[in-house]
Amino acid sequence: MNTNLLTVRSPAGTTRAPRLDPRTKILLVLLVSMVVTGPDGLRFVLPGLLLAAGLALWEGARRRALVLCVAVATMCVLGWLLPLWWPNPLTAIVSLTCTYLIRFTVAIGVGMHLVATTSPTELNAALRAARAPRAISVTMAVMLRFFPVVAAEAAAVRDALRLRGLTGVGAFLCHPVLSLERFTVPMIASSLRAGEDLAASAILRGLGSHRRPTALHPPRFGRPDLVWALLTAGLATAAIVLPTPLT
Amino acid sequence: MSDDTLSVPTSTPPAPTAQRPRLTLTLSARDLLNVAIFAVIYFVIVYAIAMLGIISPPAMLLTLPLSVIAAGVPYMLFLTRVKHAGPVTLFAIAVGGLYLISGHPWISTLLTIGVAVVAEVILWAGRYRSYWSAILAHAVFSLWYIGPMLPLLMNRAEYLNSPGMRNMGQDYVDAFDQTVSVTAVWIYNASTFVCGLLGGLLGAFLLKKHFTRAGLA
Repeated sequence: MNTNLLTVRSPAGTTRAPRLDPRTKILLVLLVSMVVTGPDGLRFVLPGLLLAAGLALWEGARRRALVLCVAVATMCVLGWLLPLWWPNPLTAIVSLTCTYLIRFTVAIGVGMHLVATTSPTELNAALRAARAPRAISVTMAVMLRFFPVVAAEAAAVRDALRLRGLTGVGAFLCHPVLSLERFTVPMIASSLRAGEDLAASAILRGLGSHRRPTALHPPRFGRPDLVWALLTAGLATAAIVLPTPLT
Repeated sequence: MSDDTLSVPTSTPPAPTAQRPRLTLTLSARDLLNVAIFAVIYFVIVYAIAMLGIISPPAMLLTLPLSVIAAGVPYMLFLTRVKHAGPVTLFAIAVGGLYLISGHPWISTLLTIGVAVVAEVILWAGRYRSYWSAILAHAVFSLWYIGPMLPLLMNRAEYLNSPGMRNMGQDYVDAFDQTVSVTAVWIYNASTFVCGLLGGLLGAFLLKKHFTRAGLA
């Protein structure tokens, strides 16, 4: 296992096409979450989807762009067309759930871009440059680094449970608390063991010290940030001015 | 509180655990790493279980309370490593940030931090070592589950005007409005709190059964 906290390779490589500054990505996530879940948020769902899918295509994640579009299209069908064809209490509840979940999907789409294209080091440097408190910048960067570790441990525990035939809806329904214990205890224990290694390595390398470290590539706002900011502004204006298909 | 200290006979030195913890917000590197590690574990456990219910609303009725209960396991283990003010609130900021990225409304993040401050006060009152205050703190922290539902309350008219509802006619919408009323919301809040208590108890039980023995608590 790679116990090196600060030199983890960035998910998208370092010599690829220019990317957005992490601060821009954080602002985009906040902005989309605020407008989509706010009042009259359905107006911003389609522009938000365009932004999320556009970002995914730009970073080369075609599959994510496709999944996002398919998910939103499915929710549009279930939420808007199905109750027209077959109005009954069940479809009314499904429609209500879809009008709620469609906003989540769009916000997740923009959030996934942040997670997929930001390395822990970049996030730490960007948050430091944004004058975020040390506690927050270090915690967020470590979380980003630790996420794949926990996800891998969770998948390993799930595989082990499946091997013993302990997964499945039946087992879960018969013994919900026992199932919880079987999943959470080994997963936490193995994640903590991996976490101890990471923590020891990180502290040795000076993570969390009070001295201000310098960054090899200091975060700078560049041309991509300007382009995407203008695109976002254009989409937001279109959302406000043009009539919305989703009401 | 001062009465407690006065009632202790002078011959017996007060136990170290009974001392009021230092009121400091200085977080060591170890604290920050603990918060980050447990925040990720908490997020993954809650998300993994809550996602099982995404297939249908009735399944959600089972998986949502179960995820509150399951969250008690990492949270109680985290609390065994908290010895002063700060990490519990930072944990909420970290978890709230993760939920924000995963599509939760921003107002839910604010609520998460708010309930964590209350949990922090409860833990402080229990001198960060009390069994019951830890369980109560988990129950209070679990109230962040109200957050994702807040838009349904705040933009109520908009949701009641959703296409499925419009097609059912005004009578159905009125009946729905009355059923899923403020009372239902309070029942949801109360059941979240109760599940939080149960989760705290389960966490404390599993701490004793597994983690203390394994030297992790």
